[in-house]
Amino acid sequence: MRTLRRLAGAVERLNQGLGGVLRWLALLMVLMGAYNALARYLTRYAGVSLSSNALNEAQWYLFSLIFLLGAAYGLKVDAHVRVDVVYGRLSERARGWIDLLGTVLFLIPFTVVMLWVSYPTVRNSWGVREVSPDPGGLPRYPIKAVILVSFALLLLQGIAQAVRALDRIAGRGAGEGGAAAERSAGTAAGPGVGGHL
Amino acid sequence: MNGAVWGPLMFLGALAFIFTGYPVAFALAGTALLFALLGSLAGHFDLILLTALPERTFGTMSNYTLLAVPFFIYMGTVLEKSRLAEELLETIGLLFGRFRGGLALGVILVGALLAAATGVVGASVTAMGLISLPVMLRNGYRSEVALGTISAAGTLGQIIPPSIVLIVLGDQLGVSVGDLFRAALIPGLALTGAYAAYILGLAAVRPGWVPALSKEMRDAARGELLKRVAFSMMPPLILIVVVLGSIFAGVATPTEAGALGAVGAMALAAANRTLGMDVLREAAEDTTRLTIMVVFLLIGSTAFALVFRGLDGDIWIADLLTGLPGGWLGFLLAVNLLVFVLGFFIDFFEIAFIIVPLLVLPARQLGLDPVWLGIVLAVNLQTSFLTPPFGFSLFYLRGVTPDHVPTTSIYRGAVPFIAIQVLVLAAVVWMARPA
Repeated sequence: MRTLRRLAGAVERLNQGLGGVLRWLALLMVLMGAYNALARYLTRYAGVSLSSNALNEAQWYLFSLIFLLGAAYGLKVDAHVRVDVVYGRLSERARGWIDLLGTVLFLIPFTVVMLWVSYPTVRNSWGVREVSPDPGGLPRYPIKAVILVSFALLLLQGIAQAVRALDRIAGRGAGEGGAAAERSAGTAAGPGVGGHL
Repeated sequence: MNGAVWGPLMFLGALAFIFTGYPVAFALAGTALLFALLGSLAGHFDLILLTALPERTFGTMSNYTLLAVPFFIYMGTVLEKSRLAEELLETIGLLFGRFRGGLALGVILVGALLAAATGVVGASVTAMGLISLPVMLRNGYRSEVALGTISAAGTLGQIIPPSIVLIVLGDQLGVSVGDLFRAALIPGLALTGAYAAYILGLAAVRPGWVPALSKEMRDAARGELLKRVAFSMMPPLILIVVVLGSIFAGVATPTEAGALGAVGAMALAAANRTLGMDVLREAAEDTTRLTIMVVFLLIGSTAFALVFRGLDGDIWIADLLTGLPGGWLGFLLAVNLLVFVLGFFIDFFEIAFIIVPLLVLPARQLGLDPVWLGIVLAVNLQTSFLTPPFGFSLFYLRGVTPDHVPTTSIYRGAVPFIAIQVLVLAAVVWMARPA
């Protein structure tokens, strides 16, 4: 258990760090989106091509990096939306059970299946060094490989969540930076959901 | 009749797992795997279908429409964190507050505008509850009227473009977001107008319920007012008009307009000297978290939909919904009821990703225009968020309302606005009728 807890801590630090980097990619994506919008407009009038398929694709590559690499970070900070009509009223221990069972029965099998079914696709893409079908587009194989990285990180964070959930069931608290602590800080208003729009 | 057994089982299974409170994205994905396994053991499902998942994931990654979501969230959070939204609210309050009912009208107007800027129920209700509610109560507003106005105005963002609800609905219904925005303008303006008419009616019939600002407050603000209108009110207003105008004029796609709007919001914040590193970081962080949440919800829902279709669940739903008495009207009534009740408990994203794709086929069979189906759903959800005892808007308002104000006041305040909603919803259902 002690080794597991240490592993959980390491995974959490990794994903937390990743989250800190990804948010700046969001800013970069906004700036790039605005540049692309202006470039398309100006190109029409200036006659000089300021825009390119590479730049347009870079925009959604950034979008993909944010959610693929951020999925595990989202799990750690409890950003993935929950329906907490029931969950919000349960004891810490009962919540621990739901998180443990959900992680073991839903999350971990899903990440394993996704890794399993994605691997052949990514390997093929990598094998032929797949590039964008559009002229001047970006190589496709690296961004497809990120799908594997995403679910691998999610699998690791899932294991960490299970360890933390076990601790909560045993009444040892969420530990440093546990999801439960962040949740109670995050949604003070009402039983709504973290990211309710 | 394979779907008639597996469809309902899987649908109820998914609902049950979602209600455990485990993150919805993974509860859905887990349900998908469970039923893929059960279905294949029973010989009704071919596991090879699961190999479509990477391609679907890749489709989400390169989805140009969805890119608009983080852009508009970024724009809204910058306006909020840099306090531009707050100043807009205060200025409009001072400007309108000199008239009877004016404070409430200001809230409705800002709700519609902030809406346009953020589309986030929680954010606008919280902001207005913190800033406008104390002013209204101090001025002797009847608390029900003040509370009802704020919770209703806070939901306007769901329907008034560039609502994120509409972007996601457009993606799921397979229609152009621009078309959806244009169509949504009609009920959006109708609702805003009807809310305003209700307040003006109160000002005439029950002047004591919606008094004007006291003379001291008006005098104190007089010197500054012009300056505030010029510097706090006009710039965000112009930004919103430009962003929406460029979409409606067809100059920019919603995605492009969102990106430009986000940069415009940063420019306004910089001009206002409130664009610190903290604002940039918080806006980027909120955007990152929401993007992760929305996209993974979509990935989980995609897994659910794939298996659900593999088990012919979609055929079950289509048969069920097209076989209702009353044809298109029966279909819309049933769908409205389902979405309204689900809207109490689950977020519109879940509804959009799980329920809406299942409605497209039956709606087409009944001759309904998917654009208007989207508008009906958006108005319906907005009503659901306002309805006691579960409406999300009411919960957010409760969170920022002083303890001495009873929750029943919040509920009672919402009632007249719900009546308006029902009328507009009925009108929208009628507009959605097959040609």
